[in-house]
Amino acid sequence: MQSTLRELTGGAPVQRGRVKLQLPPLVENGNSVAFTVAVDSPMTADDHVRAIHVLTEQNPQPNVMSVRFGPRAGKAQFSSRTRLADSQTVHAVAELSDGSFWSDTVDVVVTLSACIGDLV
Amino acid sequence: MDTIDFNRRSFLVSSAMAGGGLAIGLQLPFGATSAQAAGGTPEVNAWVVIKPDDTVVVRVARSEMGQGTITGLAQLVAEELECDWSKVTTEYPTPGENLRRKRVWQSFSTGGSRGIRTSHDYVRRGGAAARIMLLQAAAQAWGVPASELAVDKGVITHATSGRRTTYGRMAAAAAKLAPPEAKSIQLKDPKAWKIAGKPLQRLGLVEKVTGRQIYGADLKLPGMVNATIRECPVFGGKLKSYDAAKVSGMKGVKQVLRVGDTAVAVVADTWWHAKKALDSLPVEWDYGDNVRVSSATIAADLKAGLDAPKAFVGNQSGNAPEALAAAASKIEAVYSYPYQNHAPMEPMNATARYTPEKCEVWVPTQDGESSFAAVLAASGLPADKCEVYKIDLGGGFGRRGAFQDYVRQAVLIAKQMPGTPVKLLWTREEDMRQGRYHPVMQCKLTGGFDADKRLTGLHMRLSGQSILASVRPAVVEKAGGKDPLSFQGVADGGEHSIGYSFPNLLIDHAMRNPHVPPGFWRGVNINQNAIFMECFMDELAHAAGQDPLAFRRQFMSRYPRNLAVLDAVAERIGWDKPAPAGRHRGLAQMKAFDSFVAAACEISVDSTGKKVKVHRIVAATDPGYAVNPAQIERQIAGSFVYGLSALFMQECTVKDGRIEQDNFHTYNSMRIAQMPKVECIVMPSGGPVWGGIGEPTICVAAPAVLNAYFRATGNRLRSVPLKNHGIELV
Repeated sequence: MQSTLRELTGGAPVQRGRVKLQLPPLVENGNSVAFTVAVDSPMTADDHVRAIHVLTEQNPQPNVMSVRFGPRAGKAQFSSRTRLADSQTVHAVAELSDGSFWSDTVDVVVTLSACIGDLV
Repeated sequence: MDTIDFNRRSFLVSSAMAGGGLAIGLQLPFGATSAQAAGGTPEVNAWVVIKPDDTVVVRVARSEMGQGTITGLAQLVAEELECDWSKVTTEYPTPGENLRRKRVWQSFSTGGSRGIRTSHDYVRRGGAAARIMLLQAAAQAWGVPASELAVDKGVITHATSGRRTTYGRMAAAAAKLAPPEAKSIQLKDPKAWKIAGKPLQRLGLVEKVTGRQIYGADLKLPGMVNATIRECPVFGGKLKSYDAAKVSGMKGVKQVLRVGDTAVAVVADTWWHAKKALDSLPVEWDYGDNVRVSSATIAADLKAGLDAPKAFVGNQSGNAPEALAAAASKIEAVYSYPYQNHAPMEPMNATARYTPEKCEVWVPTQDGESSFAAVLAASGLPADKCEVYKIDLGGGFGRRGAFQDYVRQAVLIAKQMPGTPVKLLWTREEDMRQGRYHPVMQCKLTGGFDADKRLTGLHMRLSGQSILASVRPAVVEKAGGKDPLSFQGVADGGEHSIGYSFPNLLIDHAMRNPHVPPGFWRGVNINQNAIFMECFMDELAHAAGQDPLAFRRQFMSRYPRNLAVLDAVAERIGWDKPAPAGRHRGLAQMKAFDSFVAAACEISVDSTGKKVKVHRIVAATDPGYAVNPAQIERQIAGSFVYGLSALFMQECTVKDGRIEQDNFHTYNSMRIAQMPKVECIVMPSGGPVWGGIGEPTICVAAPAVLNAYFRATGNRLRSVPLKNHGIELV
């Protein structure tokens, strides 16, 4: 996931904050997990969110989703669903119009993994 | 032991708690279920609470469903804690507390025979850490080094000064100390165990026997209503419409509610009134295409898989197809295993209370965290507004861990009646129709011999349903479409690895997934794989003109632990001596869930071949370590009740897309008079790996009996249940 993240940020530092990732901390099987990402931003021409990326540490493909925004979006927020292959940390990374990157993370435990043990 | 006097079916949660939500946990008066660790007693650590009167409350994350895991875990903690066992009770922390405390109790999952084997290390460290802190507190109080202190049964002594104190008096001070580094703790050698490893009476036994045990059906909350539900009987179908007006005037009926897309529920003052109304409710279903599926169409599909060119390889060595093509002689057999239902004595149930501020669920569950996850998803509330209170289960067997459908339903109903606690209890019929079934499977086995009747190759082709393709597709995708669990008991490594080395071997699986929802039935895939492999081993032995035990031994030189349990049952049954007149013997062995199991049985069959009496079964189990040998023996015997009932009597057939068997009259279970004498050899051989007990033992009884049947009659039975052959267990 780290190399995917570097590609998305061009190596710029990613700070914690300003992003709110909502994801349940416990899910049964990870097949379809609802999430919402929101970034606190005035969404003006001078100060807006350019993109929000959702990344996972354990999925076969780390970059689950990237959403691009312009100032006319009005609000930097979206909801969707993702499949989580296993218990892991999910990251939401926002790129702002000033070139800075901000993030939030949530640890998600997939409880069904415990049932089948070392296969997962 | 509590002195609170409650009659069985009417205990009440105090109204103060029911109003604002329970802060700590449901107050149930019985020790083994959930005792309130209240009165402000501080915990020594997350695992151990010690009250001033020296009562020890051990926190247990796993669920008790009659398998005795709670007692075993408490024994392990108490062993390291060095407390008085007679003062030990247990308590379930809630999943909400676990989340708030960064999962200090780790997994709550009670399945896969993992309850003890995957948690023993950290729970023992939890008990040891508490002991260390209690001794340190006494050392500080007395101004002496902790190394000069001794402790026995919760009494701390200092030899040179003659001072003594108890855990109860040191607990508050101990709670303030920094815990020792977990990795630095030296655990006791199991050879020195005084509490663990002993056949102690199970906690909670008296409550169960006297009827004081609280089950889900017994819950009464103030203002509670009762509900029952019907989901579309054809899996995959939907609810089209229902005519609530026809039943809303019936006695006690409060609501008739749609639950999701697929089910309708009736809520009433009593469960019986809800059931009567639901029985009378006109319902229209949109069954969908699956209504055309039947056992016959499924069997035809599976049969085609037996010869399909493409299959997922689970285990192979050498080149079995070549060896078989070149064989001087071959034998081939096709076996089959049906859908089966868990059918626990307690039907699915959950009690839920929802407001936008709090959603609480009381449920018998094998995984409190799975239930919690289901509550999060169904309520739409954040984690800090949800809670689950675990109740001991009236049987789980794998139905109540991975599957939380009844929790989801209860929450969806409660959401439609905010503020009112709703107890959802399925009928037996609903429980039978909405199972998560033991997967259906066929198997073609082919063995090749050279001119001297030596086995040169073996091909085991499985054709049938994958559990994980339905329940955990991510695992199957990761394995390139293969379900690794399908090879339990005959895998090429790991906790379920095969116990034979064959010169040329191919075990593969043609995956065929009917619409019937599969699940983890006790043993999961070892039930059919043990029959397929162990019965065919007898067929191979017979074709080679060899004794079944001697034949097996040839392939087991690399599997000493498998050999040890097999030899143990053979020796005890008297394999090398003639059986008593009219009796015939069979045996089987397998490794599963990291335990090694074998069984040898003695049966007699009447002259018609239709009445079978199983006189005795000798069972050997090597789980590495035995935490409670008496409980292991009961688990073995209990697994044979389950496994032999399945062998003789149990099958779920499909007609018009739905399961036909809807109660015990068509899905029977053995009675005590039919139960054979079970002799257990518990032979833990130690080592780095701990094996499980809940499941592995179940798989060897059926093949042992089937093998004995052949020796009694000359007839080979290759499909189960045996009632389909007109055979009866007497």
